Amino acid sequence: MSEGASSAPATAETTGHHEPAGFPPFKTETYPSQLFWLTISFVLLFIVVWRIALPRIGGALTARKGQIDGDLGAAEKHRREAADASAAYDAALAAAKARAHGLADENRKRLNAEVDAAKAKAEAEAQAGMQAAEARIAQTRNAARAHVAQAAQDAAAAIVQQLTGDNVSADEARAAVASVSGS
Amino acid sequence: MAMNPMEQFKIEPIVPLHIGGYDVSFTNQSLVMVAIVAVATLFLSFSVSSRRLVPTRLQSMAELSYEFVQGMIQSAAGNDGMRFFPFVFTLFFFVLFSNFFGLIPGVFTVTSQIAVTFALAALVVLTVIVTGFLKHGIGFLKLFVPHAPLPLLFLLVPIEVISFFTRPISLSVRLFANMLAGHTMLKVFAGFVIALGGAGGILTGLAIAPMLLIVAISALELLVAFLQAYVFAVLTCIYLNEALHLHGH
Repeated sequence: MSEGASSAPATAETTGHHEPAGFPPFKTETYPSQLFWLTISFVLLFIVVWRIALPRIGGALTARKGQIDGDLGAAEKHRREAADASAAYDAALAAAKARAHGLADENRKRLNAEVDAAKAKAEAEAQAGMQAAEARIAQTRNAARAHVAQAAQDAAAAIVQQLTGDNVSADEARAAVASVSGS
Repeated sequence: MAMNPMEQFKIEPIVPLHIGGYDVSFTNQSLVMVAIVAVATLFLSFSVSSRRLVPTRLQSMAELSYEFVQGMIQSAAGNDGMRFFPFVFTLFFFVLFSNFFGLIPGVFTVTSQIAVTFALAALVVLTVIVTGFLKHGIGFLKLFVPHAPLPLLFLLVPIEVISFFTRPISLSVRLFANMLAGHTMLKVFAGFVIALGGAGGILTGLAIAPMLLIVAISALELLVAFLQAYVFAVLTCIYLNEALHLHGH
């Protein structure tokens, strides 16, 4: 315990080996060596900084700045191109839509017209068929009517002959039937 | 074990060397200066590649340092101060690395030597004087003549001259004293830790107090190390600005 306390000053004195003691920074005999090596190292560092380090770091900085500026420019260019392409796409889409709309419209009109024409034709055909049928019916009716008159005429002539035994001419029979049927 | 807090500032030769009658031995200080140059070179040159779009951490730090010093010069000395970019950058990094290296326990603090800080400050003032005369010729002397009425000038011009020529002193002593004081304080408190730790009994437990203080002071010293390098570089920029533009034109 006491050894440690007493040994500290002792070592300070023994290792201090003071040459006439003094403040080290003011020992002028060290100045030539200090200035000599200071000059060498400072000049060396100056040359390294001036010739190598600063151009190198400056070069790295400008290269990076150039690359970043270039990349930003390229990005801006691509962005503009993309915007242009998008606008062109929109325009093309709008044009295509308009054209499709036109085509659809035209188609619809054409189809409508065709349908209408077909309908009209079918109606006309039906009408014609109906008229023909009516004509035929009327004709058949007239024919039937004519047959009925003939049959009545023949029947009247036959009845008269049976009852009276007289021959009745066709004209008489026709006149008689006509007077009875009232036509 | 060195208990003398001044022991850490002592320059010890490693390889003795004499040129022209001068002792220019390679010392513990020279070793640290060479290490600073080596590490700064590695950090600033080999960590940087312009091919990388996304920088590595080290490269990012180098780029930040570049932009930091660039901004410092441009705000203090304007765009034509940029011709001193390599000089100010070297100065800033040399001082910064010296201060940081000194905080590693056992590593010599280069900037704790007045010879070094004064040499750097003298280099700054010399650069200012040479730049001023190259740019303005004899008109550079107008720097010492502020805009003031004539009678006042008899008083102001000597003051301006004195303040100009004390710049290397204030610039160097500020850095030197800050480094010296910080490291001395750390060493003194470290001495307390050892003395208390060896004292035994309740005193051994008390050793934790200076220990905690060392931790706190170390953090403070880290700030001081950066701040002093920054102050040194900024003042250099301001002085260069005066040389380039005289009275802030």
